[in-house]
Amino acid sequence: MSSFNRPASLAPQNPERTTTMRMITDESPRSPAAMRRSNEIGSWDRPCKRLGGWFPRIDPTATKKTTTAIVVALVLTMFGAGNCVGQSSDDAAPSASPAAVDMHQDAPASNDSLRAMILTSRAAREAVAKIRPSLVTIESFGGVSAVQGKIGGIRKRGEGNTTGILVSPEGHIITSTFNFIGRPPVITVRTWDGKRHVAKMLGRDDIRKLTMLKIDADQPFPVPEFVPVEELRVGQWAVSVGVGYGDTTPAVSIGIISALNRIGGRAVQTDANISPANYGGPLIDLQGRVIGVCVPLNPQSDSLAAGVEWYDSGIGFGIPLAGGEDWIEMLKQGKRVAPGHLGILAMANPDGPGLFLERVFQDSPAGKAGLLREDIILAVDDQTTDELRVLKNILGRKSAGESIKVRYREFATGEEKTIEVTLGESPESDQNAPPGSRPPQ
Amino acid sequence: MNRTQSVETANCRSNRRRSKPWRPIRGGRSVVHRNATRRWPIAVCLVLAMAWTVSNSHEVAAQPTTQSENGIQATIDRANRCMVKVFGASAGRVEGYASGFFVSDDGLIMTAQGVFLNGREIRVLDWQGREYKASVIRRDREKQLALLKITESSPHYFDLSNGDVGEQGDWVIAISNAFRVADKDEPLSATLGVISLRTSMEAWLNQRDVAYRGPLVVIDPITSNPGAAGGAVITLDGKLVGMIGKIIESSQTNTRLNYAVPTSVLSDFVNERGTTETVQATPDHPPADLGIVLFRHSGRDGPAYIDRVKRRSPAHRAGFRSDDLVISIGGQTIGNTRDYDKALERLVPGEEVIVVVKRGNELIRKAVVPVEKK
Repeated sequence: MSSFNRPASLAPQNPERTTTMRMITDESPRSPAAMRRSNEIGSWDRPCKRLGGWFPRIDPTATKKTTTAIVVALVLTMFGAGNCVGQSSDDAAPSASPAAVDMHQDAPASNDSLRAMILTSRAAREAVAKIRPSLVTIESFGGVSAVQGKIGGIRKRGEGNTTGILVSPEGHIITSTFNFIGRPPVITVRTWDGKRHVAKMLGRDDIRKLTMLKIDADQPFPVPEFVPVEELRVGQWAVSVGVGYGDTTPAVSIGIISALNRIGGRAVQTDANISPANYGGPLIDLQGRVIGVCVPLNPQSDSLAAGVEWYDSGIGFGIPLAGGEDWIEMLKQGKRVAPGHLGILAMANPDGPGLFLERVFQDSPAGKAGLLREDIILAVDDQTTDELRVLKNILGRKSAGESIKVRYREFATGEEKTIEVTLGESPESDQNAPPGSRPPQ
Repeated sequence: MNRTQSVETANCRSNRRRSKPWRPIRGGRSVVHRNATRRWPIAVCLVLAMAWTVSNSHEVAAQPTTQSENGIQATIDRANRCMVKVFGASAGRVEGYASGFFVSDDGLIMTAQGVFLNGREIRVLDWQGREYKASVIRRDREKQLALLKITESSPHYFDLSNGDVGEQGDWVIAISNAFRVADKDEPLSATLGVISLRTSMEAWLNQRDVAYRGPLVVIDPITSNPGAAGGAVITLDGKLVGMIGKIIESSQTNTRLNYAVPTSVLSDFVNERGTTETVQATPDHPPADLGIVLFRHSGRDGPAYIDRVKRRSPAHRAGFRSDDLVISIGGQTIGNTRDYDKALERLVPGEEVIVVVKRGNELIRKAVVPVEKK
């Protein structure tokens, strides 16, 4: 909607057209406009009356009627086109605008565009109200937040509240792992009714940067609807909602879905503001259904705080919950969903298709399955892997413990073989174990 | 221009009997002659009109968008006539320019307070690029607002008397000279977004000096940029929502806030009325005590665990014990020992307050009456 590089005048670009328009609205009694405005079809001033009026009973042989027809066509064309260049007349400034045409009968479509914008606001408010009962405010206490230092470009990790979403009537809550980077030992949750609960941390998904909490329910909690991933469309409205600013009323930002299947197919990209104000909160559609959970993500890095430097930048990500029953179940059981790890160093094969195994680490999942140095990986899960990127995208969606089917050419024999490799955890995994929920000793 | 003339002349000429170019070659019936005379210019008209329509048909097709954009553009144009570019002294890395807008017809300008106003000269450029010298009438260092004045009159200005407009989710347009993109008489930059939240909060400027404490309108277009402060945030029908504030970080999220200072706060400032939000002044009551001694870890801010409870103190009577974690006092969340100390300062001896502590997996909520600190 930026208009600063448009000429200030409301006139259309074509000066000739402007002049023509002025001519049409010229008040001289002989102008066609003046004649038309008497609102009677066919009532022309003296000069044109002789042409007999507007009715196009075209008889090519009768010159008079042909002339009539031509005039009819001419006038209709000019009138029709002229109508379209109308301007709204509510410009109060005296001299800046050209002779603005007072077009009170604006074409209905013009008001519809503005009306649509206003309706979007209303729809967004109602959508937020619909999902509000399923939002929780998460307060964390202790942890390394008191230590100064930058995480993700932010001077100090927020000590403030974060947002979470209830995903089961029994009180399971999904939120972003962002605010647990400092491993707070105490976590409390405030539900919509204002009640505070002590929360227990269950599982953690390090692929999707999500953590699951559990609170006890006296009565079933309201759970939001999730949008099936097939229904998502690039360009549709998306509203990010979060309570990170500390107010009980959530803050909203309206944008669109910018892309699907980002970050190795894990995330939906949006240009709504995504920041610590709404990490862990929902990205919803105008019907109040959850598209995904707002999280910081960066395709170039897997660290927990990666992506925070892109807050409010127009590039934000949400993890869809629909279709995630597998990993949600793992989280409920308190397990850690770790990125699947092969344990190899690979590069594009310089002598042909596939990926050349530069190194297979000792005791790695690849090594245990029988892969050796200098083997060429041809395909994984039936997808040809000629580029490292393809392999990374496949692995990006897999968690430790899942198996992949690898077709490769053995260096020793030159034969093509297919094996199953069970992915393991990355060797640094012990340091990232989820914190316990006990207070410090 | 030729096209215009020919259409006009064609219309005018459609009835006139032309003798010169249309001299009958043969003797013929005058009726035929007349019709022949009339038909040629009309046909020309028709062809020209068709050509004109076709050439502009893309605009016809785009008409609905053009109309709504014209509506919004008219709003932005009107608003831009009230805007000014403010130039002052730059100091080190702090930029010396900002945006501002007229708030009266006698030259009063609302802008953000800043070091750039401390210089000898403040220049202001209006929407037509005319330059004026401005003087500072008043500043509010807590709200970071400044009122300037030029001696000339200002026919285009925002009326601040209509109170606060716009609710969450409503579209707004932020108009400012961020990054000094607009030069001389160029209109300021406009960006579209929605109102995120109307709230009251504390927010920090740079090195943690309190820059703003009070009501503000958080918006989602990015306004946290050099030079944008002092800009205007308006609704789609041109009403002022507030003034774009200086670059600050939310104390909650530690991220830069995009926000506007609400019109009601601006109006109070311009009219020298008391602030709507009473600021925490130095307490005029004796210090309060709950009888809680926190576990403090040599200088570091840890969570507010109770080390011990003084005998016969309000906390003791409420049943609090060692190792309880103080979660909230009077509705204020206590994240660490520093929060606890601040909350304690605000307590008034004899006034009951609700204290929430966490013991194991339980939350215990008790009403406590603090006593005077001895």
